[in-house]
Amino acid sequence: MFKKILIANRGEIAHRIIKACRELSITSVAIYSEADVNALHVRRADEAYLIGPSPASESYLNKEKIIALAKQIGADAIHPGYGFLSERAEFIKMVEEAGIAFIGPSYKSVEMMGGKTDARTLMKQHNVPIVPGTTEPITNIESGKKIANEIGYPVMLKAAAGGGGKGMRKVFSDEEFETAFTNARNEALKSFGSDAVYLEKFIEHPKHIEVQILADKHGNYVHLFERECSVQRRHQKVIEEAPSIAVDDQTRRKITTAAIDAAKACGYYNAGTIEFLMDRDKSFYFLEMNTRLQVEHPVTEMITGFDIVKEQIRIAYGEKLSVTQNDLQIHGHAIECRVYAEDVDNNFAPSTGKITHHRLTSGPGVRIDRGIDVMSEVPIYYDPMLAKVICWGRDRNEAIVRMKRALCEYQICGVTTNMPAFNWMLKQKSFLDGTFDINFLENEFLPLIPDKWKDQSTEYLEDIVAVMAALIKNSDSEVTVTANNFTSSNNWRTQQYE
Amino acid sequence: MNEFVITVNNKKKTVRVNDNGTVELEGKVIPSSITKVSPHSLILRFGDNVYEAATSRINNGEIGFLIDGWYFDTTVRTRLQETAYELQKNKGKTVHHTEVKAPMPGLLIKIKKKIGDHVELGEPILILEAMKMENDLRSPSSGVVKEINFQEGQSVEKGASILVIE
Repeated sequence: MFKKILIANRGEIAHRIIKACRELSITSVAIYSEADVNALHVRRADEAYLIGPSPASESYLNKEKIIALAKQIGADAIHPGYGFLSERAEFIKMVEEAGIAFIGPSYKSVEMMGGKTDARTLMKQHNVPIVPGTTEPITNIESGKKIANEIGYPVMLKAAAGGGGKGMRKVFSDEEFETAFTNARNEALKSFGSDAVYLEKFIEHPKHIEVQILADKHGNYVHLFERECSVQRRHQKVIEEAPSIAVDDQTRRKITTAAIDAAKACGYYNAGTIEFLMDRDKSFYFLEMNTRLQVEHPVTEMITGFDIVKEQIRIAYGEKLSVTQNDLQIHGHAIECRVYAEDVDNNFAPSTGKITHHRLTSGPGVRIDRGIDVMSEVPIYYDPMLAKVICWGRDRNEAIVRMKRALCEYQICGVTTNMPAFNWMLKQKSFLDGTFDINFLENEFLPLIPDKWKDQSTEYLEDIVAVMAALIKNSDSEVTVTANNFTSSNNWRTQQYE
Repeated sequence: MNEFVITVNNKKKTVRVNDNGTVELEGKVIPSSITKVSPHSLILRFGDNVYEAATSRINNGEIGFLIDGWYFDTTVRTRLQETAYELQKNKGKTVHHTEVKAPMPGLLIKIKKKIGDHVELGEPILILEAMKMENDLRSPSSGVVKEINFQEGQSVEKGASILVIE
């Protein structure tokens, strides 16, 4: 087995990988930027090295420096986590050329799945259903309109090199086509350096369903069932769960088979996720493949009892999969809520600062994957995700009830978090009955900000809070009265507040 | 006995703290006590119930509470302070300045208003880039833009006064 793994990441995922290393008796190495000097992943690792200044481009994205460090300290593998360098084919190539194992797929698989139109072509060739549309970029308005009419409006124009909602336009008719096409191309060029856009049928009420797969370097493939991630805002996932309430046994068989076909099509090994859009009639379409570990992998771990990160390490070392498909079963239901440092009512503005108070939640079926602890700094340079609360239950309802309970117990002070908003989301009818789709937050939640989503049922807490505030203020004034009495038993006076 | 006026969720609540370990809230007298268990967490015993809360910033009578998964920002004043505050507020009503401050350090991508423009409460007025995200900042009040202290493309520190609405 590997002796020493360098983790080219930060935050909760670096912390998660350190745990896997420890269980496998592998020395874990953290790298950190100047902003992360005292970050949790640094405290938890066996070794930690400063890699550069705070901006990610000078630290966590500095390929040459990371590889040079790995060589210098004798690391025999690099785990990229998610984000940062995890899906950069050229980085994988550089790592392997340096004689270091990359814990992830081959650069070739990443390249094959990196370009959206290339991936669509590849999927079409391997009979994985894709959203009806073009596999080639659209070159002119007339041919674009012709195709749009063939597949039927509404259609989506999408940047071939894109992601994250940039270079995307929804088009309802021929009249709108020209403007939308020009705008999408300009935005694509600006964001991704390429103005190639392609056309897809617009699916009106899709669910985001994805399948976790694992494959070794010996040609063995398994899937770990599906996850549903339809609760999202601007393509940023907020709540994920496994399994999906909308996927029946027959659909599950079809979609997991399609996922394995997709993985085989690009000669994939290690952990990967194939994302699909699923329509109301349960037809599903390939969206993209994430050639890395995903943020939401814990919900799959909870329902299968299987450690995906440890298996990633074993696969990279060359071992065969430690499970067969028949070993894997869905056990219960799991939900994950992503805790972001953001101010929901201030249009989701990121909140930065020092965590002054942090008390974990725990108890039956609760797991927290976190990148913060008390006194952690939340810097402006990186993704504002602080932690993930994951709850397991025998069924979906128990998982939801546990999540509500766990979120009430989890205390984070010092930065504003999105945690209260989960109180709203987890009680909506469409969420509970499973009819929600990827427009859930946009259609139902966003119209209620600021503040209108806050619940009437918390009104009683206003009285409680008022009494607390009055008693605190009252004890402050007592201190003033007895200021010379050093034996005062008033325990408020020595307290420091921020 | 001390009387306090607490503003929470834009509502005013009056709480009387008596010397005998009770408080009076909306005419009801309830045995109450508070215990601090760490610099940021406290327990309230309120009648037969017990509540636990985490407190964030406390300065000048502004206290934030995290209780049962909800955040509350409160302002607490003695009856006297409250009266003075109301008086001050009414006096200042004719000229009401609101500064729009940067909630975080970042890059000013866009200023959507010019000096002299009218803005509505909650209207997006600025785009500030931080954490690789573009954030719409909304107007904290209605009025007319009086001052703009930065230009698009400039970096601002947290708390910088970007513009003034009157």
